[in-house]
Amino acid sequence: MTATRTPCPSFGELADYWTSDITPDEAEQIETHVFDCERCARMLAEADRLRVGIRDLARSGNVQAFVNDAVLNRLARDGVRVRSYALDPGETVRCAVWADDDVIVARLRADFTGVESVDAEMRFDTGEEWAQATDVPVRKGETELVLALPAGLVRNAPTVPMRLTLRHSAGSSGERILAQYVFHHEGALERP
Amino acid sequence: MTLTPSSHGLYRSVVTSSRATPLSACDDGVLARAVSGASGEDASDAETELYRRFAPRVRLFGLKHLSDRAAADDLAQQVMLVVITRLRTGEVREPDQIGSFVLGTSRMMVAGKKRGERRRAAIFARFDAHEEAVDPANDLALDGSRLAPCLAALRERERTILLLTYYADKSAPEIAAAMGMTSGAVRIGRHRALASMRDCIETRRAS
Repeated sequence: MTATRTPCPSFGELADYWTSDITPDEAEQIETHVFDCERCARMLAEADRLRVGIRDLARSGNVQAFVNDAVLNRLARDGVRVRSYALDPGETVRCAVWADDDVIVARLRADFTGVESVDAEMRFDTGEEWAQATDVPVRKGETELVLALPAGLVRNAPTVPMRLTLRHSAGSSGERILAQYVFHHEGALERP
Repeated sequence: MTLTPSSHGLYRSVVTSSRATPLSACDDGVLARAVSGASGEDASDAETELYRRFAPRVRLFGLKHLSDRAAADDLAQQVMLVVITRLRTGEVREPDQIGSFVLGTSRMMVAGKKRGERRRAAIFARFDAHEEAVDPANDLALDGSRLAPCLAALRERERTILLLTYYADKSAPEIAAAMGMTSGAVRIGRHRALASMRDCIETRRAS
C-alpha cells in the first residue's frame, strides 16, 4: 500500500517552517511530507543551516544593513558592542572606531514625509564611492533610518571626511536629495 | 498488513543478487519490510539505511519543537531506537507507511519530553535552581565568510527582512509593521531572498 504524497513545498515554504509565521496545521503538513520525502528533508535541513548562518553572522556584527531597534536590542542582548552616532540633516560629526567596537550605527534623522523608500550612498571627499544602498524601505511616520556597519569595515576605511546622502527615488519626477550627513572619520583608536 | 517471510525474502533478493538494487535506491517501505521481523544481524544494512534516512528528519523535527540542538540529537537517537526495535519485533503494522510511523513516534516522544520539561521547570522554580543553557556548536553551520557576500548582495529590504526574521525572531506581521509593508509582501520578500542566497552560495561553491 502506498500513500499519495502531497506535492513538494517550495524552498521558501519549507523555510517558513523555521519562523514564527507558520501555523501548527502548516507545520504538520510539512512534517508529514518531509517524513515521506528525503529530498524535501534535505532542503529543510538546508533552510535550517541558512537561518542559523544568518543568525550567527548578525550576532558577529559582520553585516551591513539598515536595521531597526529590534535588531539593536538583540545585539545588545547578545553582548555585541555597538557605538552609535545620531545625526540631523546637514550635520557633521567627528567619529572613530575603538578597538572593542563590533558594530557602528548611524542614526540618520530626516523628514521622510511622503517617502516610501530611499537610496543611500557614502562617498569620500575625493568623490570615490564607499558604499551604497537602493530601495531602503521607510515606514510611514518614520523620523530616522538606522544604518549598521561592521566595525571592522569602518576601522579599515581611510581617515578622510565621508558624505552620506539620502535620496528619495521619486520615479519619473527624478531623485531628490532628502538629507546629507558628513562623518569626519578619525580612524581606529585604542584606549590608553 | 501481515508480515510473512516473503517480505523479508524480498529484501534479501534485493541486496544479495548480483544485479541487486542498491539499498540507497530502495523505497522506505522495502527497507522497513526488510527489517520487520528479521533478526538484527540479517537486516543490519537495511537498519543502517533507515537510520541514515530518518534520523536527520527526526532531528529537524526535534529542533523545531524542542529548540535545542543537543535535545534534537538525543531525540533522533531515541526515536530511531524505538522504531527499529518495533520493526524487528513486528510491532509496526504497516511497514510501507514507515514515514508516518517515525513521525508519530517523534510526536509522542516530543510530547513526553515537554511534559518532563514542565515538571523539571516546576521543580527548579520551586527550589530556585538555575541552569546554564548550552547551545552546542552546530557542526553543519554555513561558513560565515561564504554567507556574508551573499547576504550583502541582496536588495536592502530583503536583507532587513532576513535579519528581522532569523536574528530578531520577528513574525511577518511584526516585520510588516516595522517596514511599512504587508505581511504577504514580507513572506514573498523572504522567499525571494532565500532563493537568491541559495543560488549565490551554490555559485560560490561551484567556483
